[in-house]
Amino acid sequence: MEESSNDDDTIGTMIRLFKVKEKQKENSLANGGRPPVKKQTAGELRLNKDIAELNLPQTCTIEFPNGKDDLMNFEVSVKPDEGYYRDGKFLFTFQVPPMYPHEPPKVFHPNIDLEGSVCLNVLREDWKPVLNINTIIYGLTHLFTEPNPEDPLNHEAAKLLRDNPYEFESNVRFAMEGGRVGNTWYARCIENPYD
Amino acid sequence: MAEPKIKYDRQLRIWGEQGQAALEKASICLLNCGPTGSETLKNLVLGGIGSITVIDGSKVVLGDLGNNFMLDESCVGESKAKSVCAFLQELNDAVKAKFIEEYPEALIKTNPSFFSQFTLVVATQLVEDSMVKLDKICREANVMLIFARSYGLTGLVRISVKEHTVIESKPDHFLDDLRLNNPWPELRKFAETIDINVQDPVAHKHTPYVVILLKVAEEWAKSHQGSLPSTREEKREFKELLKSKTIAFDEDNYKEAVEASFKVFSSRGISQDLKQIIDDSQAEVSSNSSNYWVMMAALKDFIASESGGEAPLEGSIPDMTSSTEHYVNLQKIYQAKAEADFLSIEQRVRNILKKLGREPESISKATIKSFCRNARKLKVCRYRLIEDEFSNPSITELQKYLTDEDYSLAKQILAMSPVKSEIYIVAVGFYILLRATDRFAANYNCFPGEFEGPLDEDISRLKTTAVGVLSDLGCNGSTVTEDLINEMCRFGAAELHAVAAFIGGIASQEVIKVFFFFFSFLFNT
Amino acid sequence: MADSVAPPSRSRDLDKLLLRNGNLVGPNFEPGAELRDDLQEYARILVVGAGGLGCELLKDLALSGFKNIDVIDMDRIEVTNLNRQFLFRVEDVGKPKAEVAAKRVMERVSGVNIVPHFCRIEDKEIPFYNDFNIIVLGLDSIEARSYINSVACSFLGAVSHLLLGYLEYDSDDKPREETIKPMVDGGTEGFKGHARLIMPGVTPCFECTIWLFPPQVKFPLCTLAETPRTAAHCIEYAHLIKWDEVHSGKAFDPDDPEHMKWVYDKAVKRAELFGIPGVTYSLTQGVVKNIIPAIASTNAIISAACALETLKIASGCSKTLANYLTYNGVAGLHIKVTEFVKDKDCLVCGPGVLIELDASVTLEKVTCLVVFINLLEDHPKLLLSKASVSHRGKNLYMQAPPVLEEMTRSNLSLPLYELMDKVAKDTIHVTGTTSKDGKKSSCLRKLRVVFKAIDGVTDMDTAGGA
Repeated sequence: MEESSNDDDTIGTMIRLFKVKEKQKENSLANGGRPPVKKQTAGELRLNKDIAELNLPQTCTIEFPNGKDDLMNFEVSVKPDEGYYRDGKFLFTFQVPPMYPHEPPKVFHPNIDLEGSVCLNVLREDWKPVLNINTIIYGLTHLFTEPNPEDPLNHEAAKLLRDNPYEFESNVRFAMEGGRVGNTWYARCIENPYD
Repeated sequence: MAEPKIKYDRQLRIWGEQGQAALEKASICLLNCGPTGSETLKNLVLGGIGSITVIDGSKVVLGDLGNNFMLDESCVGESKAKSVCAFLQELNDAVKAKFIEEYPEALIKTNPSFFSQFTLVVATQLVEDSMVKLDKICREANVMLIFARSYGLTGLVRISVKEHTVIESKPDHFLDDLRLNNPWPELRKFAETIDINVQDPVAHKHTPYVVILLKVAEEWAKSHQGSLPSTREEKREFKELLKSKTIAFDEDNYKEAVEASFKVFSSRGISQDLKQIIDDSQAEVSSNSSNYWVMMAALKDFIASESGGEAPLEGSIPDMTSSTEHYVNLQKIYQAKAEADFLSIEQRVRNILKKLGREPESISKATIKSFCRNARKLKVCRYRLIEDEFSNPSITELQKYLTDEDYSLAKQILAMSPVKSEIYIVAVGFYILLRATDRFAANYNCFPGEFEGPLDEDISRLKTTAVGVLSDLGCNGSTVTEDLINEMCRFGAAELHAVAAFIGGIASQEVIKVFFFFFSFLFNT
Repeated sequence: MADSVAPPSRSRDLDKLLLRNGNLVGPNFEPGAELRDDLQEYARILVVGAGGLGCELLKDLALSGFKNIDVIDMDRIEVTNLNRQFLFRVEDVGKPKAEVAAKRVMERVSGVNIVPHFCRIEDKEIPFYNDFNIIVLGLDSIEARSYINSVACSFLGAVSHLLLGYLEYDSDDKPREETIKPMVDGGTEGFKGHARLIMPGVTPCFECTIWLFPPQVKFPLCTLAETPRTAAHCIEYAHLIKWDEVHSGKAFDPDDPEHMKWVYDKAVKRAELFGIPGVTYSLTQGVVKNIIPAIASTNAIISAACALETLKIASGCSKTLANYLTYNGVAGLHIKVTEFVKDKDCLVCGPGVLIELDASVTLEKVTCLVVFINLLEDHPKLLLSKASVSHRGKNLYMQAPPVLEEMTRSNLSLPLYELMDKVAKDTIHVTGTTSKDGKKSSCLRKLRVVFKAIDGVTDMDTAGGA
């Protein structure tokens, strides 16, 4: 090191350094370098922490379809043990963006709102970087045990839940068996006990 | 040619088509087209300014190529004004660009009436003596004037306008105009139609906070002899009362109501700033009053005799948790009131114009509407002549600059080496020194350090000159540091491209703000 | 000699700064013709982005004494760029920005060499970025900034620019000066902007102060679906909900005018249905593409500040910005400089906790991963229990969830040196529970692991210079 770094004021006048480096580069080109290494983004590291600390509720399981080294894409299945949806099995796909936790993960499900967008406030306007994957998964389980009759995406289901909870329950059971409710066909999401 | 609407899309999103039209009508004169001037115009030409006239008497030399992007090798030996003008024209063929090969100092001396044909003059790299003269000429001719100067790592931008009347000041944060502290009958009536204690949880959490606050304020007033909360304790109680009305934990509308409750407590009537403007003697209109002051007179009458002390309603409401139906209805009520207020002021404007013997329809509906919508944010800025500032400085003001960091920031000087904790002092120091260099130049026929050779002599001369400037300003006790004097001589009147681009950028931004008669700008004291 | 006239030179004005000494200059400033010539010959600058800021930066740098400049940008020129990206003309629409911008500046400023790279920043190998002395950012996305920041910080402490992964810090955890890759970052929005100087390891990096960029507020889907109130709600409904409903599987392309028109039409219908005013085509584009208004002057101001800082870092001709400048021309004019401090535990620019492992046991089974994990529990600076360990994107061991624990369990009995690809010095990350003053909290830490006296390490040290 040169005499420059007397205190923390090492900023400024870097040209001599540039010059040395440029000359070094010419000399050492023949040596070759190490192959480029994969870098982890700050988002990946933070997600790593979230995952290592996961404390899943009894009703949830998690899978990593791309193996142990890709945590940015995973699946969570929820199997409610109470409420209208008990014994159903619901699979959610998580996509975690590189800017996590600055941005919330994207969560999809094939038949919550018919289109797969999950209406959970923490996934949109209420997301804060201090929240984590655990918070979201708890939010998801909450959707099943206490469906929200006020602000759902599935307009008709919500109205029915408000006006006629009994019919709502029967529709849910019917849909989960796999079948048609109104004009929509639902895939079966109850596991056959004999399978 | 590209479709202008698409080409200008990213700026139309800021200043709209009205602003763009104002820009396209403007004609600008640039004095000296070194990098500071060239960069100022570059930004304006890109945005689609109406016309530019470049004035510079010099020929291009090799050194100019090192700091000005609007020149290339083929220009050496040619007129600088001509060369720069040609490259500026390349940027936007919708702009009318011309040049005059003449030294600005000569023009100022011999042909002062020349400047009256422009909307605005951008004068760059002028020394004090020419600045003072040009300032008087432009003030007389009612032409707006902006000075820009780059000097080594420092620089200056200064606006000189007799009176700048601002309609759309577009401040960053401005309180919405909900009138919750003084609701008009229609708004009250609407609130009465809604039961905030509705049992249906969906309806309960979708009652807009405007209605909640109106109702709860009414309830409060009933139990407090008709008055609204005023003490801290009462305000706290009011918020508690609001919270007690919630029936579920996640009612965003009630959270919003608590946060917005101060809008109920805020005092009625117009702000002190607006009061000062309507009380200005200009609001006593005569036949040659500007449209702005005619509208101001109408506004004054409206506030005094019709609205009970309130400005015309703005008419827009912020987004809030609500059912679509309630929200849309609220919007309509606010819009209707704003329209009624506008019509009333429009009527007054027409009457005043008639009384003054002017064409009653000579101010457009759109202008009056914009005036009404922005009534709470109206601004008037007036500037002293530069000569007054120089010869009769406000010493207390200057002392303040030298001591108060935040305040000095608003001063005209921008140091280009913003070292934390040094920036402000450096900045004010350079202000003094920039004036000292001009005096130096007048005495010695060159700027300190302009030519090669040892700087010692120039440093001591500049130091003496700076002491003279300070004592003329009445700051006998203050000094400028040795370091700054040294730096100033080292700069040797260099016009660095990056500094010129910075100063030119600020100058062009100020030009735009002056034109649009909105956004309040640099020195609004 | 006091009034002798300098011979004509392009460098007339710049020479005043580079050839004369001053009192407010950087450390080790050595004015003279050699400095000017070295700037031209040895300083290599990368400009990231050739948009509103990038065009200005290329011009400013080319006229500030730099001759070796590269520019990288993946975009092509659009008509809406022309109100500020002054290097482009109508006839350039559709061409790559980086290529046109480089060509235009070289045509105008002779002697400057600008190499364009028409590609994504991620397409370049990491060592590409190490070839530059200073990286100047003219970007409009947080994500791209974060990426370049992590790349620049990854060079910190590397012994040689070709030997990434060999870390060397001094005893105070300060990185070697030659491994600091300075970044100058600019950003604008309308009449506002910022310019900042990032010296990784010295001043806060982008990640240390990520909170400066508030996350974009998104509307709740429930509002869009159930209680729309504003024009933007109607537009986002058409864009986020209705599009997928009708075009199953077909991705929405914001640059396809037909897609945009479709969203606009649907938004208008929805607005009519609810009696909501204000849906226009322009607003639809603005909301869907999240368009940030942009004007020439702000870009010019911010870029100029960035170019000036670049010159100051390289030459030392004046003190550098410390370290974050904000410009606000909305009401009046406010320029403010704030000195932020770096997060010493930052995962991106922080040095990490040094862990030295003894060579005599390194190659033995005793330093298998499980022993290492136990060691962290007793390490005075860490006191980390139940650690999960990852190395360059590979999860060596995960404590939870069970499915990952199972997948990584077999690593516990392998030597750490082997798990780290037999690299003698490298960074790993650990997460776990730490206790401080009797309080337990979870934490994520960066560690600098050094296997002492492994063959080759000492050689590397000397080869790295210094």
